[in-house]
This record gives sequence, structure tokens and C-alpha cells, in this order.
Amino acid sequence: MKFVIALFAPPHSPAARRALRFAEAVLAGGHEIVRLFFYQDGVHSASANVVAAQDELDVAAEWSRFVSANQLDGVVCIAAGLRRGVLDAGEAQRYQRPAANLAAGWELSGLGQLHEAAQQADRLVCFGGQ
Amino acid sequence: MATLHLLSHSPFSDGRFNSCLPLLGDTDALLLAGDATYALTAGTKPATELEQLPEQVALFALEDDVQARALGMLPPRVQLLDYAGFVELTCRYERINSWL
Amino acid sequence: MARSMLIISRQAPWAGPSAREALDIVLAGGAFELPLGLLFLDDGVFQLTKAQQAASLEQKDLTANLQALPLFGIDSLFVARRSLAERNLDESSLALPVEILDDAGLSTLINRYDHVITI
Repeated sequence: MKFVIALFAPPHSPAARRALRFAEAVLAGGHEIVRLFFYQDGVHSASANVVAAQDELDVAAEWSRFVSANQLDGVVCIAAGLRRGVLDAGEAQRYQRPAANLAAGWELSGLGQLHEAAQQADRLVCFGGQ
Repeated sequence: MATLHLLSHSPFSDGRFNSCLPLLGDTDALLLAGDATYALTAGTKPATELEQLPEQVALFALEDDVQARALGMLPPRVQLLDYAGFVELTCRYERINSWL
Repeated sequence: MARSMLIISRQAPWAGPSAREALDIVLAGGAFELPLGLLFLDDGVFQLTKAQQAASLEQKDLTANLQALPLFGIDSLFVARRSLAERNLDESSLALPVEILDDAGLSTLINRYDHVITI
């Protein structure tokens, strides 16, 4: 089956870890991940600037590794990212902000990418919630 | 045709549990994850409400969340899942409604 | 055939960006002419009440955007009867024409769509 996995929660949220373990199990089960889409506070889970405590799981780093290792299409919603201060180099320059902090493996793009993926996918599974 | 509903908030401190249960279709399923697994605590109102769900509504919980919380005696109808089981479950139901 | 999506909006209008971000998903899908539905549930029904004064909170009033949805081809708008009743609201309290559904109707509604996102 083809999956789209959407994350709406920051890396310190239990949902971020749950989504990652689910995504790993999707691939382990022989299924395909069409796209990962990070929205709302999920954009923080694609931040390169998160410093997890020594005794805590570094979920943002694990997500970045997972996307790269499996060459997945990882998209962070640009509007949600801007609102929350997760920017790539282009946006940091455009808005004259001091730092670009989008982690490697992720791309900023619009909600159209979520819809495009959902059109291709058999299952859309969302994780997160305030 | 059926939907898998996913709850991850505590039924004691959050309204999603109470909003979700009346919307469950006859053959829908409910997966409890995160703090929603506290709903399985014996002798509580949420646990009673879960017991009262129609028989054809399948009830699941994530094993790692249940284990972490040492919840004690679980309702017999709940099936514990690991992540492989979670993925399989999402394939079995037509859509997944996560109560974000 | 295009896959359909139901967006369930559960948050009050100014409980953070969720109301707006749910609507953004709907508008993005509308731009692609996708089959979408929008259901207001729980505190989400507060997004529809009349005479809101968002400017008092220095916030954006989404009512105009919601009223414009049919122009984007989105006219499947639904509201949960139970959520209205809990908040002592009824059809006359709402700023838009919507279909009001009871619990069984909501359950049937959800099961008609290919994908669901609840925000």
C-alpha cells in the first residue's frame, strides 16, 4: 500500500516518535511512503536547531536520518514553517532572518504537496495534536 | 467502508475521547495510543464506556504505551499492537481518522 | 477518479492557528478542484457564529473566507448537531448555510470520504 504520513507535532511530543516508529514499520512491512508532510507544529520536527537533552531521544535528528537513509520525499509546509520560524536559506534571506534552520532532507513547499500525495496514496495517516 | 479512529489524549483531561465515541460507526475500530491508553484503567468511566461499545467495534491499543503506563488488568476485548500490527491495521480499514 | 478528503475542524476560531490552518488545507484542495468536505465539530462550531469581532484580538476574521468557500467549489459544509446543542447554538446562530448532522449522520459522512484530517 501507498502511505502519506503527516506529522502535526513538535519533536518533543510523543506523537513525533510514534509517527517515526510507524513510518519505519510501513517500510519494514514492504509498503511505500509517497511523501512525509510536516504541518502545524510538526515543522519543528524538521528543525536542525533542536538540541535534545543528553538523556532524551533526538527525534528531529532521527527523522532527518530516516528521510535521508530511505531517500524519502520529506516536505515541510512553507506557511506553517514561516509562522513558526522554520526556514530554509531562501526564506531566511527573503525575510532577512538571522538563520536558516530547516534540517537536511526536508524541503519547504505548499499544501498542494499534501493534496498531491493524498491523491496518490491508499492511506493518509496523521500524527500529533496539541 | 469502515474507519479506524486514533485517539492519543487522556480521556480525563481532554474532550476528544467523549467526542469520538458517539461518532464510531458500527464496524469502525478504535486505536488508543499515548495518554488515551489511560482510558483502559479498570474501574473508570472511560473504561466502562469502552466496554459498552458495540461488539463489532474493534478496540486496539499500542503495546508500548500500555507497557509504559503499567495499567494493570486490561479489558478483555482490547488487542495490543506493536508498530507492525499498527501498520497492518491501517491497511485493513479504509481510512484513518486521527483525533489530532 | 479523484480521492475525496474530509477536513474536520474542531478548534475555536482563536485557539491558535488551527482554525486557519484547517481552512488552508481546504482552500489548497479547492485550488486543485478536489472533492472536499469540511465539518465543524466541537469548538469548531464557534468559527461559524455571527457578528464576531476578530479585530478586538488583533486577529483575522475567517468568516469572510468561510463564506467564500462555495466560490472555490467547496459547498459541502457540515456541522455537528451535538456540538451546537452543547454550546446552546442553532442554525440561526450561524453565519453560513451548512448541513447539520446528528451522530449517525456524522459517522456515515466520515465513511464516505477516502481520507480524513481532523485538526
